[in-house]
Amino acid sequence: MDSHLNELALKELLYRIADDLLILGHRNSEWTGIGPLLEEDIAFSSMAQDKIGQSLALYELLHQLGEREPDVVAFMRNADQFHNCQFVELPIGGYEFSLIRHFLYDHSLFLRFQALSNSSYEPLAALSRKLVGELRYHVLHASTFIKQLGTATEESISRLQSSLNEAIPYSLGIFEPSPYEKELIDDGIFSGEQELFHQWWSVVNEILGKTALEISQVDQELAKTGGRLGQHTEHLQPLLDEMSEVIKLDPSAEW
Amino acid sequence: MYGGGNTFEATKFDNLAEEDPIKLDEFEARIARGEKIEPMDWMPALYRKQLIRMIEQHAHSEIIGALPEGTWITRAPGFKRKLALMAKVQDEVGHAQLLYSAAETLGKSREQMMQDLINGKSKYSNIFNYPAFTWADSAIISWLVDAGAIVNQLANSKGSYGPYCRALERICAEESFHLKYGHHAVIHLATGSKIQKDMVQDALNRWWPPMMHFFGPPDRVSVHTEVLTKWKVKMASNDEMRQQFLDMYVPKIWELGLKVPDPNLRKNEETRQWEYTEPDWEEFKRVINGDGPCNKERLAVRRTAEERGRWVRQAILVPKAKYVTPLA
Amino acid sequence: MKSLDPRITRWQVDESNRESLEKEHLDQLVTYEVFLQMKEGKAYEHVGIVHASDLDMAFLFAKEQYSRRYTCTGMWVVATEMVTVTEFTDLEENVYDSISTMAAEGNELQSYEVFHLTKRGKQHKHVGQVKAASPEHAQSEAKKHFDDGRPVLNVWVAPSNEFLFSKEEDKVIWSTLHEKTHRDVISYKAADKIKAFKERSQHG
Repeated sequence: MDSHLNELALKELLYRIADDLLILGHRNSEWTGIGPLLEEDIAFSSMAQDKIGQSLALYELLHQLGEREPDVVAFMRNADQFHNCQFVELPIGGYEFSLIRHFLYDHSLFLRFQALSNSSYEPLAALSRKLVGELRYHVLHASTFIKQLGTATEESISRLQSSLNEAIPYSLGIFEPSPYEKELIDDGIFSGEQELFHQWWSVVNEILGKTALEISQVDQELAKTGGRLGQHTEHLQPLLDEMSEVIKLDPSAEW
Repeated sequence: MYGGGNTFEATKFDNLAEEDPIKLDEFEARIARGEKIEPMDWMPALYRKQLIRMIEQHAHSEIIGALPEGTWITRAPGFKRKLALMAKVQDEVGHAQLLYSAAETLGKSREQMMQDLINGKSKYSNIFNYPAFTWADSAIISWLVDAGAIVNQLANSKGSYGPYCRALERICAEESFHLKYGHHAVIHLATGSKIQKDMVQDALNRWWPPMMHFFGPPDRVSVHTEVLTKWKVKMASNDEMRQQFLDMYVPKIWELGLKVPDPNLRKNEETRQWEYTEPDWEEFKRVINGDGPCNKERLAVRRTAEERGRWVRQAILVPKAKYVTPLA
Repeated sequence: MKSLDPRITRWQVDESNRESLEKEHLDQLVTYEVFLQMKEGKAYEHVGIVHASDLDMAFLFAKEQYSRRYTCTGMWVVATEMVTVTEFTDLEENVYDSISTMAAEGNELQSYEVFHLTKRGKQHKHVGQVKAASPEHAQSEAKKHFDDGRPVLNVWVAPSNEFLFSKEEDKVIWSTLHEKTHRDVISYKAADKIKAFKERSQHG
């Protein structure tokens, strides 16, 4: 076993999840105070906070593995150093798009943390076991909304359907394989993106089957990949510039 | 976050001529005993009207108050601040929800209140019509505006209407987090680098005048509200609250090396009262009547949120479900 | 509209839109009453309401509005409409004194949840269940089972099958609550920093 390679593989895995959560939590926080209904505003904000908190916990694991402090890693890197999938960096769009993204992404995350609960890397396994409870609420929220809005009015169905069409190619990018896929699987760190994709696909379709929404066609060729390798849409760098606008006024200061 | 001030219309005892004198006596005796009024109790029409007006304005202030600080929600420096500000702005939305619920128990529906807000029929706290130019503005708001709000809300939580008091107790508990967080953020700026110190002093300079307006006009020019005081709707005078705020927070501002932008501000040791330059009450009136720096934006954003959220609410609306007034 | 808030700028708000917006009757959702259990074994207590479409959504909303801080081990929601309320009494008067006992008539018995208010200004607390044929009968049964002579100011009864009760396996959704310290005053202590600053200023 090559322990050096192992660590690279592990770090790459941690970065992709942490970066996903930071960027998606940041995006979803844009709704705080302007959501469609007071109660939903509150619920969506809580889940955004959970995501930021989860990303922090993962950056702390990375810090224990020798990476820099969470604030430096999160606020000081450029877009090409981020490992998140492109899906999470897209603008919030209308609420229908944010809901569809929440539904598609959070189901993948719930399954990912369930899988990682058995990881051979014990700190990650312990964290995942803990976060599964939090995610249980997130997927309950997402599924309830998709089921209700996806069967309600002509307008709600058509809004969600067009967001779903737009989102699907990006959502496939969640499962872009790691360069270290084989090592992660062989060492029992993670069961792999392919297996996760298949689980997710069946869960998502089962729920959509209870609605008027459908995934028209899936062509893996159309998957929006590259995010995991640092190739991003034009939306990520401006997001990062905005996020770090204050901290970069004086990076050496305590804020 | 709410500061009172300009909340009440002038009231006269004549409005009570049509009330049943026996019931009115019982009602007043209950309040005098220190007991709470609950939604199903008999109450004078004037009490109901003024409470709806006050609680509704308070609720509007929370939902609009989420906007100035929300200005910095995507730019908070570092994880600690990012999480705190998200939670803080979320709490303001939560407070609006609690307060609209309390007002609903008096018989006005939430959608009607929202509609009155958007159409400019009802007011909210003036201070949220000012802009948050820098990160330091958001820190000053979290600290001082919330501090002022706590002074007002703690007083009101001793009032007579049960559902409002219960909401305020929870709100005050949550706002003690806002206050601590805001103070923590200001301390870091005021004791930090030159850039940080300048930033926070500038923000204090900007927010001091609206903060002096926050508790409303001086008592000597305020409308008469004796009956509302007797009914424990209005719990403290504007000047009392302003003095209490100055007493608690001016020393805390000074200890951080910050300067309050009022050369006349000092505590008169004989009268035990703070003396200060009288704020510009003409400006206060102008802003309340719609001509402040951010009035248009605040309402336009709230209106847009309502419009863009409509399809969601309509989709989950169950047409045959019957709306009844909530219980407590 | 260009705003100081980059979110709002991106949102492209039209500031000139002044048409009056008629909301009422359009999207007034019904309300659900929410009850929380803070710790295992403690009584469920009323905490407030949420606006929602149905019990499932009410539960989702209530969870973040009423249990995003402190501790929580369970939550119940029920439509406001389903709750039957007695009159409110004054200090020291027991509302059960004005409730007459009645016998079950006709209908089959079903289970009702019973809540008491024992002090004005406080919240209603769950005291138990009764089997009854109607809400009025449930009040009468509640008097039989839960009136111990101490004043109860107001009683709520609602059919058990109208509630959504959180389940044992739902409890994990609250399991990380104690770690959400960013919502808590204890995370924002800075007395040391002020002290150090004062010392620096004096020596400087």
